[in-house]
Amino acid sequence: MEKILLAILAEMNLAVDFSGEKNLIDDGILDSFDIIALVGELNDAFDIDIGVEHLLPENFNSLEAIMNLVKKLQAER
Amino acid sequence: MPVTTFAFLLFVSLTLLVYFIVPQKYQWVVLLFASYFYYASAGGKLVVFLIFTTIITYLAGLFLAAARDRKKRKLILAAALFFVFGLLAFLKYYNFVARGLNILLAKLAVFSLPQFKILLPLGISFYIFQAAGYVIDIYRGKYPPERNPAKFALFVSFFPQVIQGPISRYDQLAPQLYGGHGLDYDRLKYGIQLLLWGYCKKIIIADRAAVLVNTVFDNYRQYPGSIVAVAVCFYCLQIYCDFSGGIDIVRGIAQAMGIDLVQNFRRPYFAASLADFWRRWHISLGEWMREYLFYPLSLSKPFFRLGKKTRGLIKGKAGKIIPTSLASFIVFFTIGIWHGANLKYIAFGLYNGLIISASIIITPYFTRLLEKVRIDPHVRLWIVVRIVGTNLLVFLGRYFTRGASLKAALAMLRQTVFAFHARALTGGTLWTLGLSRLDFCLVVVGGMVILILGYLQEKGMAIRKTLEQKHWLLQWLVLMVVLVALVWLGVYREGYIASEFIYQQY
Repeated sequence: MEKILLAILAEMNLAVDFSGEKNLIDDGILDSFDIIALVGELNDAFDIDIGVEHLLPENFNSLEAIMNLVKKLQAER
Repeated sequence: MPVTTFAFLLFVSLTLLVYFIVPQKYQWVVLLFASYFYYASAGGKLVVFLIFTTIITYLAGLFLAAARDRKKRKLILAAALFFVFGLLAFLKYYNFVARGLNILLAKLAVFSLPQFKILLPLGISFYIFQAAGYVIDIYRGKYPPERNPAKFALFVSFFPQVIQGPISRYDQLAPQLYGGHGLDYDRLKYGIQLLLWGYCKKIIIADRAAVLVNTVFDNYRQYPGSIVAVAVCFYCLQIYCDFSGGIDIVRGIAQAMGIDLVQNFRRPYFAASLADFWRRWHISLGEWMREYLFYPLSLSKPFFRLGKKTRGLIKGKAGKIIPTSLASFIVFFTIGIWHGANLKYIAFGLYNGLIISASIIITPYFTRLLEKVRIDPHVRLWIVVRIVGTNLLVFLGRYFTRGASLKAALAMLRQTVFAFHARALTGGTLWTLGLSRLDFCLVVVGGMVILILGYLQEKGMAIRKTLEQKHWLLQWLVLMVVLVALVWLGVYREGYIASEFIYQQY
């Protein structure tokens, strides 16, 4: 999963070192346009349905947080 | 009780005194009384709208927490939003819509809609947005509702911020409002410093710039394009100092009480794109729009379906980002018409919405173009070019927000472009616009001080903390200079009304 996620983030061309970043949202590294683009990609790649209620900083602040969200939504499916 | 009067300062001082005397568990009660006293004295009978909004959103929170059924919860949310935004829409747009409909009805020769003399209650948008955000958060299950109606009433009416924001979120503000705060010397000091800085921006720069701005905008036909352009520049400075100065005063008062309100400005004139500008200007409104309009729209089923279609039709990134671009357009258009019922605000919304949504689509292609021509987007000169370009776009947008009407704004733009007459700038006209040479220079110097301090902050300097490390004599000297400047340079001329803030009428 991590590989797919990294590929998605690389494809988005955001020039950020995602493996080390822990405050993607709180530090404003990902803006709202990036978030929506990322959500679209995640929904397609993992066949999940990320809703408004999931758009919390703690779900997108790091690679690990994003993976946890994807796993949680996959389990709920 | 305008914020720039002695009565207001006396009221704030008394509130602070009582706030720190009473036991900490009753401090929120002091704030509630002070808030309602302030609102009633500033808004009179219009306090009923504040009470109405409080009751509707308080009950909606409780009902949402009790309801389990999804449909019922949706209905409660929709009803609450309908009532509060319906109230806002009625007060703001009724006369505008009725006038438009009456033209139509006159042609059909049926009845006509009456026009009302509507006074917009002080800060109505700000407390409605704040209260509506609370209801949506409860609906989304972010936190449990506030059960104490008096505590909730304080969250909606908290007196410094009820004037013109910042729009706070319940989970950020409420714990600070209800928890007690002991007198903290540093907080008090920082708060007073911020308050003084806010007053400097408001009464030394904004109110002074306003004199020239009003003269030119009220008689724009008499002036060549170059003078109009100077007036728009002054207006850019005026509105920044007026709004951000007001917010500094509000945040300063709250900070003295031990309450941190969210930031509303982050040096917008250093923005490198129009989207970046709106992330630095009126931040709390931008965040509100993002949370409660942009995200829900972008993730809604119709937008999802649209995304699928556009991806099928257009290959590459553009196909993917068209829905985001459309959602941004809707957000900026909404912000435009939120400013008021007038064609000029519709034009302002379209202007910002179109530029930003187009730039979202263009950006990936533009980045590729830069790579091809080997321009490093991080190089300083390129960033400066972008900042200047952004300021130019903002400057053009200001013709619409300050122009008396859309027609006037377009005429002024025409003058600036086609009848600039640069010579007028040195011909002495500048000194006939209501400001003496000294006042004019003060505004310019004030603007430069703001730019320099902003630049230092952009570089990461914490101005107040840096000052604190200097010799105590220097610290006192700075404080004294600011105080003397305020008393001496504040605009208190005859016929001058202790001025209100531009944004409090929104």
